[in-house]
Formats: sequence, C-alpha cells, structure tokens
Amino acid sequence: MKTTNAALIAELEEYVKRHREWALELRTMPLEALSNSPKPGAWCALECIEHLNRYGRFYLPEIKRRLGDCRSATANSAFRSSWLGEYFADSVKDKPKLNTMNTFANMNPSGSTLTVEVIDEFIEQQEALLGLLKQCLLTDLVKTRTSISISKWIRLRLGDTLRVVIYHNDRHMAQAFRAVG
Amino acid sequence: MLERPVNPTQLLVSALDQVQAWENRLELKRGELLKEANTTDTHIYRVKSGSLRVFVVDGHEEHTIRLAYQGNILVALDSFFTEEPSDLVIEALKRGAIDRISKSAFFAFLNAHDLWDTWHATLPILILQQMERERDLLTSSPAERYQRVLKRSPQVFQEIPHKYIAAYLRMTPETLSRLQKS
Repeated sequence: MKTTNAALIAELEEYVKRHREWALELRTMPLEALSNSPKPGAWCALECIEHLNRYGRFYLPEIKRRLGDCRSATANSAFRSSWLGEYFADSVKDKPKLNTMNTFANMNPSGSTLTVEVIDEFIEQQEALLGLLKQCLLTDLVKTRTSISISKWIRLRLGDTLRVVIYHNDRHMAQAFRAVG
Repeated sequence: MLERPVNPTQLLVSALDQVQAWENRLELKRGELLKEANTTDTHIYRVKSGSLRVFVVDGHEEHTIRLAYQGNILVALDSFFTEEPSDLVIEALKRGAIDRISKSAFFAFLNAHDLWDTWHATLPILILQQMERERDLLTSSPAERYQRVLKRSPQVFQEIPHKYIAAYLRMTPETLSRLQKS
C-alpha cells in the first residue's frame, strides 16, 4: 500500500468512527443477545469485543509511547507499507472468505464472565485511538516503529501497526454483529 | 490478531516467495554435490523436492550434520557467516530441485523490504537449534537420541533413507530398525 499520511489517517479515522457507532448500537441491545453464541464454541458479541479490548490494552499504550519520541512529518508525507505490514494487515482483514485463525490463549476471552462494560471499554479505546490518529497525521509513519504483541523481535512501521489494529477491530466488530443475529 | 505464533523463518520464506527473490532453481541428480569440501558457499537454499544431507569427512568416516527435505532451508552455516571455505559437503540423496539466493542478494532483499528485524528474529532460533543438536550428540542412550529426533522432526522418517538417519543418530541402521520396532 502506497499513500500519504493524510489519506491513510482519513481512511483509518473513518473505520474507527464506524466501530464506535457500531459499539454504541450494540450497547443498546439486551445482554442475552450480546451473550448469544451463534454456534457451539463460537464467540458471542461480548467475547469478540473483549478480544479487541485485550489487544487495545497492549497497542494503545504502545502507540502512545512511540509517539512521545517520534520523527515528525507532514500530512503530505508518503507512507508505504512494508512487506510485513502488508502481510499482517491482509491476514487480519475482514473478507468474504475468512481464514480461520488460532487465537493465543491469553487473548481468548472464551469462558470469561463478561458484562456490557466491555463495550464501554471498547468505546473509550476508540476515543483514545481517534486522539492518537490525530497525532499520527504529523508523524513519520515509516520511521516511527512500534513493537507488536506477537514477537519480541519484530517491529512494524507505525502506519502498519495502525492498519493492523484497526482492520483487526473491523474483522471482529463485523463478527460481533453477526453473533447477535 | 496475527493469531498464529509468528515463525520468523517462515515469514522470510513467504516474503522470498512472494517477491520472487530466489535467484535460481537448480535441478539435482541423486548423489550430486551441491557443495564440496573446502569451498566457500554463502547461498541460502530452499528444498523444493528431493532430499539432501550435510556431512564432514573425518578420516574414513563421514559425520552427518544435517538432513534436509522438501520445504527445509539449507545453508552451509559456517561458510555463510565467515565467507570462507568450509569442509562441509552437501549431497543430494534423491533427485530433486532446490531454489537459492546468494547472501548479497538476500541482504539486499532484507533492505528492500525492511525485513532486518525478521532476520534478527531467526538468529536465536538458529542458536537454539544448534543447542538441540548438541544435546542430541551428548545423549548417551541410542533410544533417547532416537526419541528426541522422532519428537522434533517426525517427518524426517518419511523423507530420508534410514541409513542416513541412522548415521545422523550415530547408530547402525540395525539399531535404528530395532528401536523403531520396539
């Protein structure tokens, strides 16, 4: 993917705002629907969202920390995904024919007792993410790098980390909606 | 997300495949030597088909260092890092095909695709694999040596003639055959 800071951030903001709206809509639904597992072993809506919260608890502070010590750029700066960034973004994207993924145990909320508060946390995370995206507009999204949750060694371009996190949110928010029926 | 534990070696191989960074494909005949003793070879190889062994000659004996089959990455590690001649020999055990990329092209590929982190992530894995092999060699019971390798790479027993697996395990083919039956 080759784009500019402005275009990337605009695209991602649109996603995040949509996710916030979806979450607000889910917030109005009865707990029974939110806890409904569409088929045995499949996550209910609350589990989908809690899964995202757990990643958010890693990535939001990580992104914030890296923004504290980053190179600046302009809205017109070029952003290009790295091979890895593209690979990871592609592997989490919501698509018609989903690849099944095996979740790490610590990121699997299955079996936890969940309340609608997980939706509140998700909404707070989306607000925070929108704030971070604003800062990212004028940040070098290539040279600034973040750690990732799955390897101590590999870091991603900030622009790629944002894409991966937000596309991953998209995948599981869509799943949450399917789960409530 | 990224819910598979990331194996950096697999990531690099996927990237090499996807951007078609492999420089050439070699067809190998059975018994053909990919590398001879006292030569420098800094290529990275990926076995497409067939199987190979890496060994050193010690007097009249050959010591098997590694076995490789379809999908495996194969490197004359000492030569790769030192860029000097090494006594490793790489021999095709079956007819097959192998892709290769030179060290300089590989490093250029890492630069072009921003994959240095991923390369660095493979290095501890290499060291740990060497340690596993060191432990194999220090294990005095043949049965335990067999069990270790069976657990680590069960597929090797489908891919490699047993005479070479026995050599790798430092036992006679008869002992290996007896252990497999018990």
